[in-house]
Amino acid sequence: MNAGSVSAGAVTADPAHKLLLAAVPQRRPLSLQARSLFAAGVALAAFLGLTGFALDQAIYETLRTALRDRLQSYAYTYIANSDVARSRRWLPPEIGPGPFDRPDSGLYAAVVGPVDVDGVKSESWRSPSALGKDLPIAEKLKRGEERFIGPLDTPAGKIYLYSLGVDWEVPNRGGSVDLTLHVAEEAGQLEAQRDVFRRTLLVYLGGLGALLLLLLLATLRWSLRPLRRVATDLTRVERGEREQLSDDYPLELSRLASNINQFIDSERVHLSRYRNTLADLAHSLKTPLAVMRNELDSGESGEELRWTVLEQVGRMDQIVAYQLSRAAATGHTTFAAPIPIEPLAEEVVTSLEKVYAERRVLCEFDIDPAARFYGEQGDLLELLGNLLENAFKWAQARVLLTARAPPDRDKRRGLVLVIEDDGPGIPQDKVEQMLQRGVRGDERVQGHGLGLAIVQDLVKAYRGSLEVTRSTALGGAAFTLRFERN
Amino acid sequence: MRVLLVEDEAPLRETLAARLKREGFAVDTAADGEEGLYLGREVPFDVAIIDLGLPKMSGMELIQELRAVGQRFPILILTARTSWQDKVTGFKHGADDYLVKPFHVEELLARLNALVRRASGWTKPTLECGPIVLDTTAQTVKVANAPADLTSYEYKVLEYLMLHAGELVSKADLTEHIYQQDFDRDSNVLEVFIGRLRRKLDPDNSLKPIETVRGRGYRFAIARSDSNG
Repeated sequence: MNAGSVSAGAVTADPAHKLLLAAVPQRRPLSLQARSLFAAGVALAAFLGLTGFALDQAIYETLRTALRDRLQSYAYTYIANSDVARSRRWLPPEIGPGPFDRPDSGLYAAVVGPVDVDGVKSESWRSPSALGKDLPIAEKLKRGEERFIGPLDTPAGKIYLYSLGVDWEVPNRGGSVDLTLHVAEEAGQLEAQRDVFRRTLLVYLGGLGALLLLLLLATLRWSLRPLRRVATDLTRVERGEREQLSDDYPLELSRLASNINQFIDSERVHLSRYRNTLADLAHSLKTPLAVMRNELDSGESGEELRWTVLEQVGRMDQIVAYQLSRAAATGHTTFAAPIPIEPLAEEVVTSLEKVYAERRVLCEFDIDPAARFYGEQGDLLELLGNLLENAFKWAQARVLLTARAPPDRDKRRGLVLVIEDDGPGIPQDKVEQMLQRGVRGDERVQGHGLGLAIVQDLVKAYRGSLEVTRSTALGGAAFTLRFERN
Repeated sequence: MRVLLVEDEAPLRETLAARLKREGFAVDTAADGEEGLYLGREVPFDVAIIDLGLPKMSGMELIQELRAVGQRFPILILTARTSWQDKVTGFKHGADDYLVKPFHVEELLARLNALVRRASGWTKPTLECGPIVLDTTAQTVKVANAPADLTSYEYKVLEYLMLHAGELVSKADLTEHIYQQDFDRDSNVLEVFIGRLRRKLDPDNSLKPIETVRGRGYRFAIARSDSNG
């Protein structure tokens, strides 16, 4: 009771657990397009931002320099238009440069030093525009000192200030007067210019950025289109609407596509082989079953029935053994690493020397070190095992395994395996019969043909060829396997 | 001949053991790899039959372990798999022969006899020592071309002695390799068999094929005339 309830609890808990797992969304990695766009977007933003910043700085410097030059030229105008009286005091010009006489022109001038304004002696002078404004224009500079600062925060607003320390020669009397000229302008104008420039810059750079992104997006879509095509083509292959991927992909994808095609091909061959194997198995088992049923139906009994059943069981056993080893054979060439022949041949021969110790057969190798089998290790073992075992069975004393790797037209090396013995050999008319039996349905499993039938199946799966001749070297049978590199 | 049979399928193990006993083998059975290893370490077997798919310790591991502890008796593997990959792996681990299931018991017996023979240095299925010829396949004995009529146990004793012709075989060896464990070892049955064998093989006491080495055992005294191929 208790155990029952516990196990029932466990059973119900399990699907719930699975549901919980399924509910956790699996994060899908970003698409290639999103990755590229994101990376390019960041790069573009950084690039355009820096460009904008640099341009802004450059233009600001330019504007500042222009402003300084303007203020300096105002200062010189003041100097040119004014005089120093005999009293060694500076006389402001009757009429200064236009804007300085207008209040709210935003341009201010001041002189610090002994001045004489319409007979009133004072230690500083201000242009009419600067009157009543709280400006930092009282400082005295040394002779020849020149200064441009700004923007300065003042109670009268932000200004740029140009100051010049002048040593003013007194005409005719000799000597000189120290004066400091201040010329200032409100920052508004420069900033307005800068704003205009910045807006323009922003519009152009922004436009450029958007344009580049669009271009990039288009490029991406264009260059990723073959990938999307592979995907849709694969879907079509999956749905059975087409046989294969087309072979007109760009260079970078063509290898992938051809690999996928090979894979599809070999899977298809596989599938049909499995189907055939299954059908062969079912069909070939029907015959012995029918024989046994007939025997039972005919009321046969005793020794004869026993023999029939034994014989048919033996036959069924062979059928199953043959179909099993066929199912184990892969015939895959696509992704397997090339296998050198000698180590596996050595293993097979070591095994055979144990099994056939009494036959005292000497097996020699003549193996090209460059010879490789392009397929599964198990398949090579099956080929070597069956053919070498055959040779050991029939040989008098010698077996020879030769492996060559002749290059084909494309200089790609194939594989030729020859297994020879010094046994009685196989008469040419028997060869036909034997190979025939290997390719026909259920008859091929009789007797010793089993190993050979497996070899034939494998050779076919690897699109190779099998030839049975008389050995010129040893006089017995010679089995020659040829494999092209696909 | 003492044989170790390691097979996890009870019906196969039991029928096989029964058949082997009928054929004159002394049989020890194990149902899993660990038991097989224990027996294989403790008992001086002449040959072992090991199934590859075993519980607790696989057949391959068992073979490796047995070889690792220095057991040299020949091993025949039984497998349901027919692929060369498996065969080659088995041989690499120390097996000497293989048989694919299902098999004919006659085939198994022939393989076992051949393995035992080979292990003691005979290459042909007939053991020849002078006029005495023992055919391990037909299990018959001829003396100077005249068939000798031996019982099953007599045959087994003679076979063991001839396999080790020229070597000293202790009584303990003979009993261990020929009888089941439950056999009464202290009786003088062995001496009786040897006596009968001498009379049957050498009625006029001219050949003296079996030598008694006092207190130590027996020796088959006629040299091997096996040309070995």
